[in-house]
Amino acid sequence: MLLLPKGNPVKESIDPSRINIPEAFAKLARSSFTGYLRFDTTRGTGILIFNRGRLISALLESGSGSQIAYDALAAIFECSLSGNVVLNIYRLSPELALGIHALLHGDVLYQAQEVKLLDIKALLGKLKQDKVTGCLRIYTQEHVALIFYREGTPLGFFHDGSTEIEKTAENSMSVAKLPGAKIDVLAAVEADEQDLADLLTSGDVGAIWAKAKQEILQERQVRDREASRAVEMREADRRSKVEELFKSVATKHIGKIGTSLVEKEFEKTFVGESLVTEKGLNGFYQRLCKASRLVAGPSAVKAMLDEMQRGFQGLGK
Amino acid sequence: MNWDIIQLTFWLIAGLVSFYFSIGNARVWTSIAVGFGFILIGQLIPQAMPYLPGLEIPQVEAMGYIVGTISILVMTHGFQEYYIFSRTLELEGNKIAVYLVTLGVTACSFVFILINPEPDQRTLEIIRVVENVNWVFLSLINIDLIRKICQNIKDSPISRGFAAFILVFVFIFIWRGSELYIQVYNLSDPVVASHFPFRYQLSLLCQNVGNLLAGLSVGGTFLFLARLLR
Repeated sequence: MLLLPKGNPVKESIDPSRINIPEAFAKLARSSFTGYLRFDTTRGTGILIFNRGRLISALLESGSGSQIAYDALAAIFECSLSGNVVLNIYRLSPELALGIHALLHGDVLYQAQEVKLLDIKALLGKLKQDKVTGCLRIYTQEHVALIFYREGTPLGFFHDGSTEIEKTAENSMSVAKLPGAKIDVLAAVEADEQDLADLLTSGDVGAIWAKAKQEILQERQVRDREASRAVEMREADRRSKVEELFKSVATKHIGKIGTSLVEKEFEKTFVGESLVTEKGLNGFYQRLCKASRLVAGPSAVKAMLDEMQRGFQGLGK
Repeated sequence: MNWDIIQLTFWLIAGLVSFYFSIGNARVWTSIAVGFGFILIGQLIPQAMPYLPGLEIPQVEAMGYIVGTISILVMTHGFQEYYIFSRTLELEGNKIAVYLVTLGVTACSFVFILINPEPDQRTLEIIRVVENVNWVFLSLINIDLIRKICQNIKDSPISRGFAAFILVFVFIFIWRGSELYIQVYNLSDPVVASHFPFRYQLSLLCQNVGNLLAGLSVGGTFLFLARLLR
C-alpha cells in the first residue's frame, strides 16, 4: 500500500466507475491542477500526480509489483470501470507534487522500522553523512507524515492537510509519537520539472480508456454469460430433481404409466423453459390430474398430487 | 330351464351399471361403457319378445340385432382408444360426441331398416349371423387389445379392472361363438339337431351359460372398476 499524506482534499470517496476519467483529466489540465489522485482499488493503490495541469506521474502499486506510466493508467482505468474503487483527489503545491513524484519513483532504503526501537539521532546523522536526498516517511495505520531531505539536510515536512512543504515539525513529529509508528527511509531521484513528460499529451489516454472500457465490457459479458449459464444449470438441475421426484411419486400411486404421464406433462408444461415455477406447476398438476383419472380414481390421484406438492416444497427449502 | 329371465335380469343390471359408469367417469370410458350398455338393448329386444307386445315386429327384431352389432363396434372402438392412450398418453374427443355418434349410427340403421323391404326370417337370420360374427372376432381382438393395455398400465389402480375385461370377453366369445356355431351348422333345426344331439346341447349350454356369465361379469367388472376408480 502506498503511504502518502492526504494533502488538501479536493474531493474524497468518489466512485470513479461513474466518471469519464479522460474528461476529468482534461478538466484538471484546463484548471492547471496540481496535486494527486489516489485510486484505492482491489488490485492495489494507484497514484496519478498532476503538476500545473500536466500528468507527470502514474503509478499502480500492487502486491505483485508496480506498474508505471501508461501501463498504470490502463490498469487504473480497468479497475475503475470494474467498480469497487475509491478515488480521492488532493491539492498540493508544485514543489510538493514534484517531491512526491521523486519519492514514488525512488528507492526504499529502510522499511517499516519501529520508531520506538530506532535511534533517530543516529539515523538522521547517517542521512546527513550519506547526503541522502529523499525523505523519511513516518506512519501509523491512520496517519502519514513525510520529512524531505536534500543531500542530508531537511527541507521541510508534509502531513495530512498540507498543500505545501511546511517548515514546522510539530504535526509530522506528532505521528512519530503515536503507538505503533514506523519509519521508512526513501531515496528520491530528483527530476527537473521541465524534463517530466505530460502523459496526457505524449500518449492517447482516450484510446487507453476506450480499450479498458471495451475489455471491461467483454469481461462483463463473459461474466454475465457465465452467471446466466450457472443459473440455467442450477435451474435445469432443479427441474430434473423435481421431475425425478414426481416420477417416483406417480409410479408409487398410479403405476409405471405414471412415469410416462409425468414426463409428457412436464415436457408440455415447461417446453423451452428451465425454470420450474409454482404457477407453471399448477397447469402441470391440472393436466396430470386429468390424464391420471384415466388409470386411477380421484382419491389415488389426489394423494399423488398432494405428495408431489409437498415434495416440491421440500425441494425448495 | 328358462334362461331368458335370468340372463335378461343380469344384462339389465350390467347395462344400467355400465351406462351409469359412462356418465361419471373419464371420457375414455364412454365408448366402452356405452358399448356394454347397448348389449342390454340388443339382448332386451330378442329375449323379451315373448313377454312384451310389439317386439315381434321384424323391423324391431332387426334393430335389436343391429344395436347388438353397434354395441361391440362401439366398445371395440373404446378399447382401441384406451390402447392408443396407454401408448401415446394422448386422448381426444368428448363424451357428448360419443353419445351423439352412437345415436346417429343407430338412427341411420333404423332408417335403413325402414326404407328397405320388411325383413323376412332369412334376412333376420343373416343379420343375426352378422352380429354374432362381429362379436366373435372382435371379442378375440379385444382380448388381445386388453392384454396389451394391461401391460402398458401395469401396477396402476385400474389394471386389475382391465384384467377382468379379458374374462368378460372370454365369456362373450363362448356365448356368441356357440350361437354362431348353431347358426352356421343350422343345429337349431330339429332334424339336424337330432343327428348331432350332443353338439347341439353342448353348444346351447355354452351359449346360455356364456350369456349368463357375460352379463354377470360385465356388471361385476363395472362395479369393480367403480370401486377401483373411487
